[in-house]
Amino acid sequence: MNILKDVFAELFKMFVSDVRLTAAILGTVLAAAALIDLTRLPPLAGGAALLLGCLAVLVISVLREARRRR
Amino acid sequence: MLEWSTATPAIGAAFLASLVEVVEAFTIVLVVATLRGWKPAVLGTGAALATLAAVVVILGPVLDRVPLNILQLVIGVLLLLFGIGWLRKASLRAGGILPLHDEDAIFAKETAELTADIRRQQTSQDWIAGIAAYKAVLLEGLEVIFIVIAVGAGRGLLWPASLGALAACALVLVVGAVAHRPLSKVPENTLKFGVGVMLSAFGVFWAGEGLGVEWPGHDLALFAFAAVFLVAGLMSARMVRQPVIGVAQ
Repeated sequence: MNILKDVFAELFKMFVSDVRLTAAILGTVLAAAALIDLTRLPPLAGGAALLLGCLAVLVISVLREARRRR
Repeated sequence: MLEWSTATPAIGAAFLASLVEVVEAFTIVLVVATLRGWKPAVLGTGAALATLAAVVVILGPVLDRVPLNILQLVIGVLLLLFGIGWLRKASLRAGGILPLHDEDAIFAKETAELTADIRRQQTSQDWIAGIAAYKAVLLEGLEVIFIVIAVGAGRGLLWPASLGALAACALVLVVGAVAHRPLSKVPENTLKFGVGVMLSAFGVFWAGEGLGVEWPGHDLALFAFAAVFLVAGLMSARMVRQPVIGVAQ
């Protein structure tokens, strides 16, 4: 049972190593989906939002973690 | 017919990501072999590989039943979570905020922990050592399976991606058997940076396709995404790197 617990904990950690980072990525995907499904913009606009959003999430997350650790 | 513009990134990502994971598993298996001999190490590894094979046999048919756009979206999101997480950690390491991954230090730490475990427990010492090898191979192997599925399933490239992963396993086994020590010369931090870039690029690509985006240039868009993630990762590392202050004499 211990092994199973460790496996699930590891799998969870794989995708949710930082709750804020996970929330920010999911928020970006939801925003892109909303742009594609709920507006008249071409789907590529949602794709661009997804790419730019993920890049922004990465940079902000690195800067925030660096500030926190100093 | 295999399209190389699609297959090359999938095989490359599966190979490099698996290399990182297999090197980590190999270090623990080597700890077990060093402390208790090869028997528990090989038995633990074999049992873990059998478990992983069962997972693949069960998961494979399930994947075929999921509609492609849902599969692409789910895998894309999981890849973004996994890939950006790796890239963030790699950027923080490159920027000197987190210590670099050191396979020799991990070998020493795991050796001390397993030695303490073996002393503490009343059960068979080989059993504890075997379980340690089993857990290490199972956990790292699950990550390899996820990566292979993630980079291969969206375009029917599971076999080429699996071959990439198998090649990484074979390479680590051969080099590890010859060197017989932790593979600390593998540039794991650079590899993790590269793999983080590739997985994030695949994540945006699949999540976008799952949402109905038709990327300009189709599969070639992957290379453009990888380039911008690479630049963003390097830029982040540069931004957090503290200047070295010289000591005035």
